[in-house]
Amino acid sequence: MIKLENVTKTYPGGTVAVKDASLEIAKGEFVFLVGASGSGKSTLIRLIMREEQPTNGDLWVAGKHASGLPSWKVPHLRRSIGTVFQDFKLLPNKTVYENVAFAMEVTGKHRSVIRNQVPQVLKLVGLSTKTDRLPRQLSGGEQQRVAVARAFVNRPLILLADEPTGNLDPATSVGIMRILDRINRTGTTVVMATHDHAIVDAMRRRVVEIDRGRIMRDESRGIYETAPEPTVPVTTEVQTAVEDVAPVESIEAFEEFADKDIVSEPDTVPETGVVSFEMETDEVIEISPDLDPDSGDDAHVGDHA
Amino acid sequence: MTRVSYMFKEAVSNLSRNGLVVLGAILAVFISLTLTFGTLVFGEVVRVNTLRWAEDVRVIAFLQEDMSVENTAELQAEVATWPQVDDVFYVSKADAYEEALILFANNDAMLSVLEQTPDLLPASLRVQPADPDDYDTIVTRLQSTPGVEKVQSADAAIDAMIALRDGLQLMFWILAVALGTAAVALIANTIHMAIYARREEIEIMRLVGASNWFVRTPFLIEGALEGFFGGALAVAFVVTAQQLAVDRLEDLPDWINLGIDNNFLVRQGALVLLFGVAAGLIGSSLSLAVHRTLRS
Repeated sequence: MIKLENVTKTYPGGTVAVKDASLEIAKGEFVFLVGASGSGKSTLIRLIMREEQPTNGDLWVAGKHASGLPSWKVPHLRRSIGTVFQDFKLLPNKTVYENVAFAMEVTGKHRSVIRNQVPQVLKLVGLSTKTDRLPRQLSGGEQQRVAVARAFVNRPLILLADEPTGNLDPATSVGIMRILDRINRTGTTVVMATHDHAIVDAMRRRVVEIDRGRIMRDESRGIYETAPEPTVPVTTEVQTAVEDVAPVESIEAFEEFADKDIVSEPDTVPETGVVSFEMETDEVIEISPDLDPDSGDDAHVGDHA
Repeated sequence: MTRVSYMFKEAVSNLSRNGLVVLGAILAVFISLTLTFGTLVFGEVVRVNTLRWAEDVRVIAFLQEDMSVENTAELQAEVATWPQVDDVFYVSKADAYEEALILFANNDAMLSVLEQTPDLLPASLRVQPADPDDYDTIVTRLQSTPGVEKVQSADAAIDAMIALRDGLQLMFWILAVALGTAAVALIANTIHMAIYARREEIEIMRLVGASNWFVRTPFLIEGALEGFFGGALAVAFVVTAQQLAVDRLEDLPDWINLGIDNNFLVRQGALVLLFGVAAGLIGSSLSLAVHRTLRS
């Protein structure tokens, strides 16, 4: 689905953001990109979504040779990628519904498809009752859920998330992670850049650690640990915090861990509850190919890397 | 269909968002194109009225009806040898008829007379003097030449009209080009502001994979509309002014004709509108090309 071959990105001015990185991510994987601020995580995300072009090396994304793709073909590539950012990037003058529908309108989806898909995705992220709210009337966690809904509404093959929980408190973050996990279970490849230790350690998914632009570690079911030779001196508190979090085996355990904190902010739990929530997810996946005839050229069709 | 209406809706909402700046751009297009179109119309009026005096012809010798082809050729060859004469050419009855059709294109009464008697107008020799001061010598010599019915020379009014046209046209063209450039810059500025106002939307459109033309077309439409409105105002203004001039100046001497062929107005008016739209497209393209938000 995503493949990097000796990718180097040097910004004008000589800053080397990514150095000789090679990486392969298969369809349906959930990958954490971890590392300190400025380590090159975001650049890697921007390279994958073809916001940046590598200085050297080759990059394949969703079956396309992204590093050689002419700029007029970029929109087509983007339709197979959903993106979520730390700052949500919602349109302040549009309602929740309109923000999500916007992603379908501007890619030319038919009105009936939009009317059908948007409520389903909003239900998936637990915002069915707030479709007419404006972003500023929502909490940070809810705004990020709208952003996730918008990223997923076109059924992308890949979901890229750059510090999606960076602006959220731990309990709210758990809500977002739960949704990303659901999305991943539909077969969508999820790549998430983060430096949230607790989340990485709890979910035990594949971890790719980047330090000063180099890929230092690539572990399946890894945890967020510092590099063998840390660039920033690690304080005892941070080390203790890392050690405090016991590795959790499964998502169920992760949710159990998360529930402890949820008490402090009840609105982060999707109103529908976990069980019915999962059913809805399956329902969406089952019926979506028929309801979304326009997506035949991007989502769902197996043109994976 | 929905996409086209979406784009027009976006373009119109952009226009209304920056009302004053948009108005400024439209007015700049309007003034620039009024000068352009006005120059074209004025030039046409002068051209039609001085048709016989074009190409530096200043003396016309109308020939007697009974002149034979040979005699005419002889006469032309003889006049050409005069030292005061730079060149001389022959205008047949048929040529004179064609000329009159242009001059009286919007005078139906005159046209019907011409159509009934196409050979009404005499053949003539058109003389280009070597030196403008030599009119009189040439006129006197021609009047005493056998075969010449009547001699007419360009009077001061014609010279003044042509000089005025040349001077005004140069000035108007310079102004029109300067203002046209200003208009393009102003349109580019309005588009720049519209892009800036929508930068978040554009960023998200690009994130979710909206095609380049889908992102850009509303701005192109916006620029084109500004140019079109400015051009339409200019055409309406010049045509109205021309009609008013025709109505008000009825007492002018017969040989001056302020009326213009409607075909000319329609053709050149459409061209001017096209100019306006082109200026709008150029302005918005400039803006789209330099704007960072739109680079991929």
